[in-house]
Amino acid sequence: MDYFVIGYYAMLIGGSCLAAHYKQREVFLILFSLTLASFVMGIIGGTGALWAVTIAAGLLALAGGTAYSFRELLIIISGPLTARELRTAPLTAAFGMFVIFTYAVLGIFAPIIAPYGEAEVVSQSFAPADENMLLGADQLGRDMFSRLVYGARNTVGLALLATAIAFFLGATLGMIAAVKQGWFDQLMGRLIDVVMSIPSLIFALLLLSIFGANMFILVIIIGIIYAPRVYRLTRAVAGNVVVMDYIEAAKLRGEGTWYLIRREILPNSTAPLIAEFGLEFCFVFLLVAGLSFLGLGIQPPTADWGSMVRENATLISFGEITPLIPAAAIALLTVAVNMVVDWMLFRSSGLKE
Amino acid sequence: MADVGRIVLMRLGLGLLTLLVISVLIFGAVELLPGDLAQAVLGQGATQETLDALRTELGLDRSAPIRYLDWLAGAMIGDFGVSLLNQQPVAEVIGQRFLNTLFLATYAAVIAVPVAIALGIAVALLRNTIFDRVANVVTLTSISSPEFFLGYVLILYFSVITGWFPSIATLNENLTFLERLETTFLPALTMVLVVVAHMMRMTRAAIINLLASPYIEMARLKGTPAWRVITRHALPNAWAPIINVVALNLAYLITGVVLVEVVFVYPGIGQLLVDAVTKRDFPVVQACCLIFAATFILLNLAADVGSILTNPRLRHPK
Repeated sequence: MDYFVIGYYAMLIGGSCLAAHYKQREVFLILFSLTLASFVMGIIGGTGALWAVTIAAGLLALAGGTAYSFRELLIIISGPLTARELRTAPLTAAFGMFVIFTYAVLGIFAPIIAPYGEAEVVSQSFAPADENMLLGADQLGRDMFSRLVYGARNTVGLALLATAIAFFLGATLGMIAAVKQGWFDQLMGRLIDVVMSIPSLIFALLLLSIFGANMFILVIIIGIIYAPRVYRLTRAVAGNVVVMDYIEAAKLRGEGTWYLIRREILPNSTAPLIAEFGLEFCFVFLLVAGLSFLGLGIQPPTADWGSMVRENATLISFGEITPLIPAAAIALLTVAVNMVVDWMLFRSSGLKE
Repeated sequence: MADVGRIVLMRLGLGLLTLLVISVLIFGAVELLPGDLAQAVLGQGATQETLDALRTELGLDRSAPIRYLDWLAGAMIGDFGVSLLNQQPVAEVIGQRFLNTLFLATYAAVIAVPVAIALGIAVALLRNTIFDRVANVVTLTSISSPEFFLGYVLILYFSVITGWFPSIATLNENLTFLERLETTFLPALTMVLVVVAHMMRMTRAAIINLLASPYIEMARLKGTPAWRVITRHALPNAWAPIINVVALNLAYLITGVVLVEVVFVYPGIGQLLVDAVTKRDFPVVQACCLIFAATFILLNLAADVGSILTNPRLRHPK
């Protein structure tokens, strides 16, 4: 029983008492259930487990603080209308925005931030971290940190491009189908059903086996695989807009299909479409990462998070966590995007459970 | 009941039709190869004679529709042709591996389904409390992580640091059932983590949707105890959405299994597919894709049929 353990329980129990006294029911529930859980963890894992809990709580507090400050910063620098929207953002969404912002900075300024080039061999293979290399070297002696930074540009950039293609294809066809209806709508509907009934990873593997792994083809293939999802949503959303009176009026004025889509339907269906873009990005991003992990996505020597995990996986059997960092980077971005999307969906649909 | 039979049969027919179209797609995709199959296998440097010989051997001298029908007829009785790599019949290459994959998926499903449904109902009942919010963030994280991330984290903790389970799931003939369960525990757990998260969120949404209905409010207002509201009023109507959720997530397991098998070097059909894709062994790729697509469609079909059977409103369409 050292001072840390005594201090740990004193803090938790003191905190629970304070929360109970000030009628903060939620805080009390968290703190007290954490205390009870700590008894169990302390008995099984000893002081180490309690340290882990403390560190996790510290990290969580840090993330919360960052999210809070970032939201304040956004509120200050944005205009009054956006600021009012931003005030409704929960901390999770603010944290998501912060993460996305960080990744964007990393991706855009990669050559400035990274100390070495992405394919530059600077050391021996699997060299440990030192003052020159923050995270050590990979299997060929390239700087892990630099590759991680360049990966933000390559992996995220590729996923964004593929999502944009999927979105452009799906949304355009969906709106055309909603306006035209008739045989075009029917045909597209059946076609989409078929494409969606093949698991996306399997479909991607099939197409890649035929056309070979090549960045350009990869983007197109993923765009085509994910377009049906966007099509379905757009068709549903636009279907509701098309029956409105103002569309009827525009049709009677003699406006063409393209005008209807651009000036009438699109402005009235942006909110769900933007949220869908976020979700779609998550799917595409995970698929790209998965394919790269299988060695069929972005090809070496281009730095990419999925293949980085695969190439350095042997290090894991020595208890090193460096190969997990790119994988964690993938997970973090997906979580962040999901959190922002959750908030946007909640705001746009007034979804209240 | 005659009605139900007809509806179910119609769904089955639709599923078969989709599968047929997909088989055309899978077969047709290989036809899209620049040049043809023989050219792709032998590469640019092949002489005309070897090309011709391989074409005759693969039956490429016949027209595409005839070869498609031939392939389809073979596929129905489990004959997918021979592997281009080692001339073994594809069915032989796939056979044992397919059983292995089924074993892994079943293992994961048996753990995941009860856990996910219980947790999903619990979270739905505790909605908007702090536990619900924590569960939301945890499941979101689990869904958002790539399968290989979860897999390697599990390897790091349960295999490298504590040494409780083996990190590589190699199977051999003389493993007892229990040993088999132990060797494949980590890959199964990886899939369980992903699927439980998905299933929990969907179950929660379905139950909350249900709890908002007027008859539940009525039951509460007349003073029925909370547990009775759940068991007598909510659950009978919740089966349809829950069956749907389960089937959809089992279908999800099918894709998840590919990455997990590669991480744990598990001798299953997913790994076979990835190998075949890198080595461009088209008959194997086609067969694996067809099997995956068929399973996927079958499970989606099961979801449809299950929800029809448990929902009287769908059973008697107006």
